[in-house]
Order: sequence, then C-alpha cells, then structure tokens
Amino acid sequence: MFKLDLYKLITTSVALVLSSTLLYGGSDTSTLPGKYVSKMGAVDGGVTYPRKDGTYTAYRYNDQSTKGVNFGRTPTANELKAWDVDIMPDGTGLPDGEGLVSDGDELYEKQCATCHGEFGAGGKGYPTLTGGNQEKLPNGVIKTLTNQRVEPGMEAPKRTIGTYWPKASTLIWYIRDAMPYAHPKSLSNNDIYAITAYLLKQDNILIDGQELDDDSVLNREKLMKIKMPNENGFYPDIDGPNGVENVRKFFSDRAKNIGSGTRCMKDCKDPSTKGNVPTVMKIDNEITDVVPPYTTVRDLPPEIESKLETKAEKMYNDACKLCHGSDKMGAPVVGDVEAWNKVTQKGFEKVVHNAIDGMGGMPPKGGFENFTNSEVQMIVEFMIDSSKKKQ
Amino acid sequence: MDKTFITEELNSLSRRDFFKKTASVSAVAAAAILSPSSLLADDENIVHHTQWGTTLGNELNEHPYGLPSKYEHNVVRRTSSLMSSAGDMHAAVSMTPLHELEGIITPNGLHFTRTHNGIAQIDPNKYRLMIHGLVEKPIVLTLEQLKRYPSESRIHFLECPSNGAGEWKGPQFNSLQFLKGMMSASEWTGVRLKTILDELGLKPTAKWMLAEGSDGSEMGRSVPVEKVLDDAMVVWAQNGEALRPEQGYPVRLLLPGWEANLCVKWLKRLEFSDKPWYAKEETSKYTALMPSGKAIQHFYALEVNSVITSPCPEKPWSDLVGGELVEIEGLAWSGHGTITNVDISLDGGKNWVEAKLKGLVLPKAWTRFSYMHKYVKEPLLLQSRAVDDSKNVQPTVNQEKAIMGVEGVYHRNSICTWEVTLKGEVNNVQVRSI
Repeated sequence: MFKLDLYKLITTSVALVLSSTLLYGGSDTSTLPGKYVSKMGAVDGGVTYPRKDGTYTAYRYNDQSTKGVNFGRTPTANELKAWDVDIMPDGTGLPDGEGLVSDGDELYEKQCATCHGEFGAGGKGYPTLTGGNQEKLPNGVIKTLTNQRVEPGMEAPKRTIGTYWPKASTLIWYIRDAMPYAHPKSLSNNDIYAITAYLLKQDNILIDGQELDDDSVLNREKLMKIKMPNENGFYPDIDGPNGVENVRKFFSDRAKNIGSGTRCMKDCKDPSTKGNVPTVMKIDNEITDVVPPYTTVRDLPPEIESKLETKAEKMYNDACKLCHGSDKMGAPVVGDVEAWNKVTQKGFEKVVHNAIDGMGGMPPKGGFENFTNSEVQMIVEFMIDSSKKKQ
Repeated sequence: MDKTFITEELNSLSRRDFFKKTASVSAVAAAAILSPSSLLADDENIVHHTQWGTTLGNELNEHPYGLPSKYEHNVVRRTSSLMSSAGDMHAAVSMTPLHELEGIITPNGLHFTRTHNGIAQIDPNKYRLMIHGLVEKPIVLTLEQLKRYPSESRIHFLECPSNGAGEWKGPQFNSLQFLKGMMSASEWTGVRLKTILDELGLKPTAKWMLAEGSDGSEMGRSVPVEKVLDDAMVVWAQNGEALRPEQGYPVRLLLPGWEANLCVKWLKRLEFSDKPWYAKEETSKYTALMPSGKAIQHFYALEVNSVITSPCPEKPWSDLVGGELVEIEGLAWSGHGTITNVDISLDGGKNWVEAKLKGLVLPKAWTRFSYMHKYVKEPLLLQSRAVDDSKNVQPTVNQEKAIMGVEGVYHRNSICTWEVTLKGEVNNVQVRSI
C-alpha cells in the first residue's frame, strides 16, 4: 500500500516551484499561477498571505500610502445612543425598565404564539423556544444534547433556550432588535423584559436559586444574575484575554478537533469499504419539494398574464401573507374557498371588524397598527375576492 | 429517515484492465463518426434558413438592463419549503444552480440567498455606516463617502456553513443544486477594513469586532480583529455592479473564506471591543453540536471542499453511448487558503488519480478541475477530493463523521459521491459505513 504523504507533496511542489524559477528566468515563486507564499497559523487554522511590494497572491494592489484618506465625520452623542444598543453578557447595553412574567405571558400570546407556538413549544415551523430536558451528565453536559440520530427513530437533541442558549443577554437583545418577526423594534423596554421573563420561566431558569412565577419581575440586575443551564456547553473558550488564542489553538489541530482526510491514492481502506467493495447509501425518501421544479429544458417560458399589483394586494403581501399564505399558522388561507366561505358567513362587516380589533391568535390589524381602518377593509376585500370559487 | 444500506457490487477492475477495455470501445465510437456521410440524414437546421436569420431581430434598447435569453428561463435559484420556517420565504434560503454555471463567477441574479427577515430594500441616500467602540476616531459614513476610499477587487466564494446540512444522516436531494448550491462566487469590490482602521486608530485593547446588519433581524456576529486586519473588506459591488439587494445592497462585510453568515449584509455598524458579543446567530444557531454534547461556538473558515459538477444528477451522461472521451469537471474551494490538488476516484474512493486544475487558481475562491475520462457504459462511483495549501485534505464521510457526529448541522465538507448507473444516469449517494 502506497500512501502519499502531504508533507512530501508540499516539498515536491516547492521543488517544482524552485526549478520553474529557472525556467521563468529567476522570477519570484509567487508568479507561478496558483502557488503563493503563505504563512501558517491564522486564527481559523489556515494560512495568511503577505502583502508586499504591491503584490498580494495573484493580485496587484496600489501600494501608495493611504495615510490621510479620511472621509465621514464623528457621530453625535445621540447617534451613538440610537445605534450602540447591543446587549453583552456582562450587562452592557441592558436598558432601564422591568417586566412581569404575567405581562410577558399576555404579550407572548398576542405577539409571539402565532409563530413560536403556545408556551414557546414550537410546532408552527418557526424555532421552538422552550422545553427539552435539562438533566445533566456527571461531566456537566446536558444529556439530551449528546443524542445522535445514527439509527432511525432515535430522538434528536433539542436545542431550546433552556437546553442550549449560553447567555440570557442574547435572548433579550434579539427580542428587542428582531422581534416580533413581522414588525421588529416595536416593543417597549418593559415589554421586552416581560417577554424575556415569561420565556425564562417557561424554560425553568432560576434567578437567585428561585424559579420564576407569574408575579416575578425581571430587570437589569436580575437578568445579570442568570446562569443559563448550557452556559458551559460551548468551546473553545472565547472569553477573557486568551479567547482568540484559544480559538487559534483549537483550529490548529483540525485532524483532532474537526476531522480531516488523508491523501491515499491506491487501494485505500476506508471503514466504509468492505473488502474491495464500497458500501453505498442511496437516497431513501427523496425530497422533491422544490420550487420551481427541477428542469434543464431550454424552451420558451409560458406566457404570463400581465398583472398589476393593486395597493390592497401589496399591503396583503407585506403584512398578512405571512400567516394567511399557508395553513401552518391556523389562519384561513387565502385561496381556500371553503375556509373563506366560513369566514364570510359572519358577514362582511363583522370580518372587517375582527381584522381591525384582532381575533384568536391575530393581534389588532395583524400587528400593523399604522394601517387605517379603510386600508384594512381594502385588504379584507382583496382576501375574500382571492378566495372565491374560480368561474 | 429510514436507512437502507445497499451494497453495490462494483466492477473491481484493475486500472490496467480498465484502460484496455475502454480502448476497444472507443475504436467502435470512432468508426461511427467516420461512417460514410451518405448514410446520415440531413439536419433541417442547416439545410433550411432559420427563422432568426430571415427576420429583423429585436431593437437593442428593448431592455436597457439586459436579460438572459428567454430560453434560459429555467436557469434560476431554487428553494424548498423545507429550507424555510413554515414555508415562509422571508426566512429561507435559495440555492445557486451550480449545474448551469461555467467558470468561477456566479451571475448576480443566481447568487444563493439566505435571509433571516426578508430582503431589506435600502435607500442608498439614507444609508449610513458607523464605526466606533475601541477606536481613537469613531466615524459615520454615507455611501458616497465610503466609496471615496481606495478600492480593491477580489474574487472569493461565499458559502453558507449549512451547505449540505441535510446530508449528515444520509443523502436527501438528488440534485447538485440542492446538495451544494448554498454557495456562489463573485468578484467583490470595496475597501479593505484595515485601510479605514489605519486612519481611525484601533486601540490595542480591541480584540473583537461586532458587525451588525440594518435589516429587520439586525443580524450581528463577532469577528476577531486579527481577521479584520488581514483580508476583511467592506464591499459595495459584486461582479462590476452594485450589490444586489439579496446580497446586502448597498454594503456588506466580506470575510474571505469564512461563513457567509459572518459576512453581514445591509451592514450598518462595526463596533470594536475587548470581548465577543454572543449574538443570536453565534449561539442558538451557527454553532456545531458535537457527539460529546458540547458545541463548537466560533467556527469560522469553510473547510477544503469539492464537488463534481459534470456529470451530476441534473446533467447526467445518459446521452453517451460509450467510448466517448468525456470531461469530468468540478469545483474545489477552501476557506483556509488555496487549492493545490484535486483527486478523482471512479470506484468510490478505493483508487484515485490526480485531476488538472484549470483557469485562475486563487485563494479562497472557486477553482475548476478537470479530468478526461474514457466513458464505458458501466456503473461508476465518482468522487473528487481536494487538498489546499494549509495541509487540509477533504475527508471521507466516515472520517468526518468520526469526529463531528451527525447532529452538528454546520461545516459539512466530506467527499461527495455520484453514482453513475449503467444507463448513464447520475444519483447522489454516500459511501459510508453507517
């Protein structure tokens, strides 16, 4: 069995480069296409390439001084205050305010449950926020996170806030900036504390060793006390003065830490080869839910009726389609004749009224409170029209 | 997913037998090409005038911004409701049709797209970039001011670290587009971040940078300053024109070779600190859960990787009769450096031969490889294996699985296998022991 050694290969290629320098009349080794001078030891485990004398690998660059190139201006204090609002694990950026678990419960039902399910339990196709078993192994690792579905029917590791997220700061930061999904940044500071408190309660997170109840209040001081169950579930350790060096060390041993191949060329014995025969796993249940469908045909496209989007349709697409476009959210699906027959039995006035005031899992005006009542009426008309039986 | 393990008897020909056999078949093929012309039917596309040769073509100003031929309408990004939240196309991913691409550049309209809160539509006149934190001189820039900085253009791939994430437990999609299409490559133009920072004066305590987007999800990630000062860029153009909205118009971060998720789109703010941030996309997502139950948190570079693009399930060899000399072609890439070698196996990884690299061979860029194959009508298990200048060798499925397990979601770079059937059809399979 002949196994090519990578070091030998590299040595060979260096030798090739050296000999070719003669052919190329003493030009720099970096002029051979695809062979560049490099240095090992980058933080990601790879190489870096020098920028020297106007050359960077295959590229030339302008190596005139850029000293004094200086555009833009200093941000004002208010501009910094408006944008420098990220929330860090040490509490930097946590806003003033506080929220009750019970208020969070109410807000969650109105603003979050349509996507994340009742009590954060998922099931609507959007991320599951709560649940999962937080029980730990003697080494401190959450037991269910060691689940590996190597056989059919095995249980998946469940990555929820309670079992997976390392920091509580991440949760409140994301809720404030990115939630609710369809109209982010619309919640007050008290609201974000309340919703965070509710989710932490659902995930059985302790503060001062105490479980949260409906009357528990969350604020800056309390949030900073939280230790998440899976706080130590991540590596390499990125915190502290050695954080970056820990990452570098980790990726410098890729064979051990993330896996690596070997450059065998002949009669290679992989565990997946039984004797001389490779074991082949074929597609079992092919996923064919693909849009648009697969084809490589070169033909003329089907004629598309020219159609102008009405104002109502545009508002529907921007605001309502998220829930009314598919049956995943439990809302009547636009185009479903039967579902909308049921809706319109209540009478048009009542349907418009419900859309304005909110109903079931839908907040008032679907959460888009800047819509006027007459705009909501236009949208409802459009949705009903689009759900009539085609003649 | 149920797993059935099918063991395939492959022709275990030695390479010498193999070439002896192909030589005799190719002699037959050559005879067909040289058969007397009197036996062949005329092609009416040649012997008659064409429609387009006998009429006036379209006016040149019909499309001030040009469009592909109408006949290319099936060359598009594709998606699947399984790659979204509840079929919602605001938080989803669309795949580049790799089987239709040539060379090492992706046309802008075909660049794969991942969004967490829809495609932000930014008014460039209202766009601002803020750089602050541990710098001597914090700044805000308008788009015009940013573009005043001296520019560089570089060709790099961008790959979502969940490219192929559905395949950890076995093959799922019979398609190159869905197996590896969460990546694209472009010539990006912008300014090196170091050029800006040299003027702003980075404080020695700055170890990390937060990059934050201005879309509804305010996507943020922590980046070590070392990368920022090496080859990071703030880019405003792709393939010679403004970034597409799907790619972060008007400005995105580019960290060559690193997770595309780190290359924050619709870039709004860069802040420097002595600590990392623990943003949502570097804790709850984009972390790789290992069999130990612990997860790799900061996972930056996309590892050495390759895939054969011709043949592939979408572009099979079913039109070949046997005896043809045909090119096996593919793409290799590494976020750790530059591709140095690509090997090809026809027998599922038992024996390998070295392919040729062709075209531009650039760091952290797609690299084309080529191998001329004498096609014989018989089953094959085609594989490619890439090597880079950081001493990385692409692992087999088993080698990768032994360390990573099957629940990590991200950073899957093991060797791909195309099963070529007797009829020349091509299927996505995996050579693996379990």
